[in-house]
Amino acid sequence: MNLILVTFIILLAFTSYYFGRKKALVIQSSQRLTALPKFYGYYLAAWCAAPALIIFVLWSVFEPSIVKTFILQDYTDQNLTKNELQLIYTKVKALAVGTYTGNITNFLDESANKYIQLKGIANSAKVAIILAILIFSLSFAYRSVQKNDRMREPVEIFLKWVLFVASLGAVLVTIGIIFSLLFEAIRFFQAVKIFDFIFGTHWYPAKTFVRDGQPDPELMKDAFGAVPLFAGTFFIAFIAMCVAIPIGLLSGIYLSEYAGRGVRKYAKPIIEILAGIPTVVYGFFAALTVGPFVKEIGNAMGLEVSSESALAAGAVMGVMIIPFISSLSDDVITAVPQNLRDGSYAMGATKSETVKKVIFPAALPGIVGSILLAVSRAVGETMIVVMASGLAANLTMNPLESTSTITAQIVVILIGDQQFGDPKTQSAFALGISLFIVTLFLNVIALSVVKRYREKYE
Amino acid sequence: MSKIIAENVNVYYGSKQALFDVSIDIAEKEVTALIGPSGCGKSTFLRCLNRMNDVIDICRVEGSIKMDDLELNSRKLDVVRLRENVGMVFQKPNPFPKSIYENVAYGPTIHGIAQSKEEMDQIVETSLKKAALWNEVKDRLDEIGTGLSGGQQQRLCIARAISVSPEVILMDEPCSALDPIATAQIEELIDDLKKEVTIVIVTHSMSQAARVSQKTGFFHLGKLIEFGSTEKIFKNPDKQQTQDYITGRFG
Repeated sequence: MNLILVTFIILLAFTSYYFGRKKALVIQSSQRLTALPKFYGYYLAAWCAAPALIIFVLWSVFEPSIVKTFILQDYTDQNLTKNELQLIYTKVKALAVGTYTGNITNFLDESANKYIQLKGIANSAKVAIILAILIFSLSFAYRSVQKNDRMREPVEIFLKWVLFVASLGAVLVTIGIIFSLLFEAIRFFQAVKIFDFIFGTHWYPAKTFVRDGQPDPELMKDAFGAVPLFAGTFFIAFIAMCVAIPIGLLSGIYLSEYAGRGVRKYAKPIIEILAGIPTVVYGFFAALTVGPFVKEIGNAMGLEVSSESALAAGAVMGVMIIPFISSLSDDVITAVPQNLRDGSYAMGATKSETVKKVIFPAALPGIVGSILLAVSRAVGETMIVVMASGLAANLTMNPLESTSTITAQIVVILIGDQQFGDPKTQSAFALGISLFIVTLFLNVIALSVVKRYREKYE
Repeated sequence: MSKIIAENVNVYYGSKQALFDVSIDIAEKEVTALIGPSGCGKSTFLRCLNRMNDVIDICRVEGSIKMDDLELNSRKLDVVRLRENVGMVFQKPNPFPKSIYENVAYGPTIHGIAQSKEEMDQIVETSLKKAALWNEVKDRLDEIGTGLSGGQQQRLCIARAISVSPEVILMDEPCSALDPIATAQIEELIDDLKKEVTIVIVTHSMSQAARVSQKTGFFHLGKLIEFGSTEKIFKNPDKQQTQDYITGRFG
């Protein structure tokens, strides 16, 4: 029903576009148009689609809760809790569509009938109202087309509002995510002291699990120390950067300064394809190839190596980040004005001297910015760590042992059975928001560094 | 006394020929001006003299260019040594984003000219003095070179070019980005410098060519139309084309 209605509105809008354009051509024969004919079409189409669709969306949003209020009115005298009322409403809905399998009481049956009836009324009302609006707005718009009113401005204003609504939606969703993170995190910090979270050195949320009731506060104190996770996150990111920065930077310099046009033409897209490999592929590469390889080498040298080592995860993550750094630093280096290169070459400097003394220093802020962006990517990377670095949060600085990161722990916490309102579940939100703050911080610094660099030339 | 002798120089960018059989004698310790409309090949010719065309992949140079009997257009030529001897100043001032001191010290450092810090200080000071910039910047040598005004930046570039005591300085429209006062300062500087070095200057301004140069060459569509003393070119040119250009009838 809804689908048919929306399709109808959209088809009508298309039709009115062509109709409006045609009408404009008719007007053109007798008087001067106020805009190109297509604006007449846009004007009619916008007036056709926008009011009807807005009402449709609003109706769809509010209809369920209004119906629910009507149904539950019959139950107000029974002194039920909110959860019980919700349960009843679910049952009524299930009964109405025929998927209910429990005992059918008279009362329920009556409510279900009422539900079906209400739904029917609502649907017909919706169709009627929307048709009325379509007729009203179309006739209004048609009249101003006939009068040959100014068409360009209303269309431009309409487009501005469409764009505004789209960006408002994006912003609101982001804000919503942040707030939901924040509220859950605040609930978590009511159960666990923020001090214990930030400075505690033991992360073992599983031990706070109790079947019913609240866990022991003493246990809570020692279970949610995030230090091992932060340490693990930055440690693995550090290993990754040790791999990615030298290789990425040197290949970026090669591509921008040394590679001939032929090489660059093919090498650059290939490197960028590397950036498109799904991280889960890197993950099993790390877990199944690099991890055992590191372990074998270590064992051959007489070292004790865990098969899930920070080294393997970090190294593969570094490989994943190489294209990121090389591509960005290539762009930054290419952006260094040619006249600086000319100036250096004209002084008799060789290529490597020019790169080292002129181009690299000039591009340095941009390179630093790209490295910071890469770090924030490494910090937020999940899949490789989950698969290759282990899930036990050891506080260690030994790259051959297994360690865990913030992202990996969030995965551990939120897969499988969980209970909302449980500190263990809520801790994921606390971790999420701290990760968000860290990467936000890195991104802000990176962007401001890059921006300052941009201002330097012109 | 000729410093540079070019014979039958042809330059190609890919399949497009930019210079046709250019032959020219550039005299020592004089200012030679190259004039002509945009795209006539005068900058291309200038860039042959310090092999800056090497930087452009698709560029190919044929013919012979001799500087003091050294063939410049040869694969065996040591380009680094050549550019130490032939400095260049560009159209747009291009100081490095480093301090004023480092800008001037750049050449002496890469060529290992100064043996000590004192010697380097001396070179920087002399070069800046010769470029008539010393008095304006002597108290702020640590400041970044790109922070100077346009005219100062261009004089800094000249100081950078003369820091390695070149025998020839090439100038590619050095004043086109500058205001008249800065232009006058640079022209004065060119007049001073020619006592010690040979200068080849490409310019769009005919009055500038007339003011600063002793010899002038007129380029058109990749050919050297006429070459001779500046006085003759401006007062009594042999070719009608030159006459038309000088009097502003085309170009």
